[in-house]
Amino acid sequence: MKANKSKHIAITIVIIALIAVAITVGIRLTNNGNAKVISSIDDISGSTVGVQLGTTADIYVSDDFEGDDAGTKIERFNKGADAIQALIQGKTDLVMIDEQPAKSYISKNPSLAILDEAYAEEEYAFAISKSNHELTEKIDGALSELKADGTISSIINNYIGSDEQKGQTPYLKKDVERTNGKLVVATNATFPPYEYYDNSNSNGIVGIDIDIMQAVCDKLGYELVVEDMEFDSIITSIRTGKADVGAAGMTVTEDRKKNVDFTDSYTEAKQVVIVNTHSASNTLSFAEKFKQNFIEDGRYNYLLTGLKNTLIITFFAVIIGIVFGSLIAIIRTTHDRNGGLTILNFLARVYLIVIRGTPTMVQLLIIYYVVFASVNVNKVFVAIIAFGLNSAAYVAEVVRSGIMSVDKGQFEAGRSLGLPYNKTMRLIILPQALKNILPALGNEMITLLKETSISGYIGLMDLTKGSDIIRSVTYEALLPLTVVALIYLLLVTVLTALVSKLERSLRKNER
Amino acid sequence: MNDNEVLIKIDNLHKTFDKHEVLKGISTTISKGEVIAIIGPSGCGKSTFLRSLNLLEVPTKGTVTFEGNDITAAHVDIDKTRERIGMVFQQFNLFPNMTIKENIMLAPVQLGKMTKEEASIKADELLERVGLLEKGNSYPAMLSGGQKQRIAIARSLAMNPDVMLFDEPTSALDPEMVGEVLSLMQELAADGMTMVVVTHEMGFAREVANRVLFIHDGVIAEDGTPDEIFNNPKSDRLKDFLSKVL
Repeated sequence: MKANKSKHIAITIVIIALIAVAITVGIRLTNNGNAKVISSIDDISGSTVGVQLGTTADIYVSDDFEGDDAGTKIERFNKGADAIQALIQGKTDLVMIDEQPAKSYISKNPSLAILDEAYAEEEYAFAISKSNHELTEKIDGALSELKADGTISSIINNYIGSDEQKGQTPYLKKDVERTNGKLVVATNATFPPYEYYDNSNSNGIVGIDIDIMQAVCDKLGYELVVEDMEFDSIITSIRTGKADVGAAGMTVTEDRKKNVDFTDSYTEAKQVVIVNTHSASNTLSFAEKFKQNFIEDGRYNYLLTGLKNTLIITFFAVIIGIVFGSLIAIIRTTHDRNGGLTILNFLARVYLIVIRGTPTMVQLLIIYYVVFASVNVNKVFVAIIAFGLNSAAYVAEVVRSGIMSVDKGQFEAGRSLGLPYNKTMRLIILPQALKNILPALGNEMITLLKETSISGYIGLMDLTKGSDIIRSVTYEALLPLTVVALIYLLLVTVLTALVSKLERSLRKNER
Repeated sequence: MNDNEVLIKIDNLHKTFDKHEVLKGISTTISKGEVIAIIGPSGCGKSTFLRSLNLLEVPTKGTVTFEGNDITAAHVDIDKTRERIGMVFQQFNLFPNMTIKENIMLAPVQLGKMTKEEASIKADELLERVGLLEKGNSYPAMLSGGQKQRIAIARSLAMNPDVMLFDEPTSALDPEMVGEVLSLMQELAADGMTMVVVTHEMGFAREVANRVLFIHDGVIAEDGTPDEIFNNPKSDRLKDFLSKVL
């Protein structure tokens, strides 16, 4: 056993090394792509443009260039930071994005530059459900007071004013009565300086929009709750009642107005173009990079929180999967063997077809946005339900195959002794079935563990999302992703070892 | 035997699998203390007949009456009847996930017939009787075929059944192990146990049984003492069958 174990560890290490090499080489290769040189907005036509999905830049580029004769290509990313990463790696020629985030990005990446000429000018406002005019009016009222007393300009100057103004006038949460309950604000915290993660702040997410919403809440007597999600999910969340207000550097456009109402604008902004100048980028040593990604601002905390959530979700989803899956399997085999349970069997079959026939991610989104639409529900709970129900369908078939793998004579021997059906199942058939299916069941647990990495789509901070957040702040892909991959690999290795230990102890009576 | 109390009465039993009719109307009675050997060519329906007696096969038509109760009627708790009918299978069907002793104790304890302590004492008695006392804590996989079948018999006996059904109990055994199982069955018969045995062991049928049923093509073709069946066969079918197996 000992020799076997160390061999296993050796193989794991080799795999890890290969992954690291492959990623590094991959970056080198893409870095030297023959990128098109963009020196003015006239050069956009025919190039490869990176945008964040659903932003106004996406709308402009799609309207103005998509399908043109010059063959302009548009790459849509879930996060601004991902678009920047792709630009650095030469996968796109330029990124069109809002001016302030652009400034923030290039300050951390010296090889990037913003074209002098802006692509478009626009206004930001907060989005609110069309069925909630009252809230729109209240927030408009608060905004006009905050504009009048200079609060808004001091908030903005605190982030993007002149060098003397920056950091001088932070908005401080006021100590007021909050009798009107919670105000849930949906945002996409990859958009500095409007909203981004800052671990030195106790709230986690900070920025101009967040401060303004805090000021609004202080005025109106609400308690501010910030929900981070993908940018293109924000309007859906408002419409389904998951959030009250969308505050995400959101430009007022005609299309969006069809779906939501906007408050009065609180600031003006520009769409600009970022290009890669390919000037020698400053290279940090591995130790410095490691420090930047995980130590600074306590960023490892994102991974710890994420790991905790991933483990909680996996643990409870596995339990739901096994309990519910075994129930379905018993219904199905009982029906096949004795007839009866026709309706239950029919429902079980429909369940299996639906769950196994649709992607897990779609199921997760449906459970969050549709099933629990009107309820303010804990996201970890939603994920446990979604992954548990998903896993149950696969476990059901595994358990069913296990029950069928037990010799029919075992069943007859139990029944002929006078044992009722359920006791025969529980005492004789299921223990033997479990032993037969343990490897397949272990496999299902591994799949489930890794599948939880899509939890980020409902804005849940799981392990993968934790690395996403680090990536969105440090613009570094290699380290956060590799480290997260290693953590998953470690978890799976431990899980595999546990399952095979259980397997060995169950096989003791077979020689 | 002089005790003529009827234990099982079978009336016009039919069984059809898909479109194939295996039993075509079997009627007979089994009295207390009888040791009945059922012989016949393969596929004649003898195993199906045996398995109908405790409803492992549900008859298509006809009735089985056990101790005066029609067990083929609707809404009968068949489990109660099965407690009274022991069954031994060709493939032993011991539970591989339990020790030998647990195999024997399972049904009496689970069905509330005995406490764990009583069942444990009973199991030791039975193990001693079948000559395998030292195997109590072994698992079935560690036993030879003959030992497994002796344990299977002990497991059935633990429920103190009124009748024991044997479905080709020696057919899956290596030749040198057949003897130990047959002699145990012979002891049971001598103790007065009512037994119905589907077998290919003509020696056993001749020596131990006090009645032999020859089933052919889904019906009882001949029914008599071993002497009548083996020494004075009436039908050509039985003569033909005996000429092949003797």
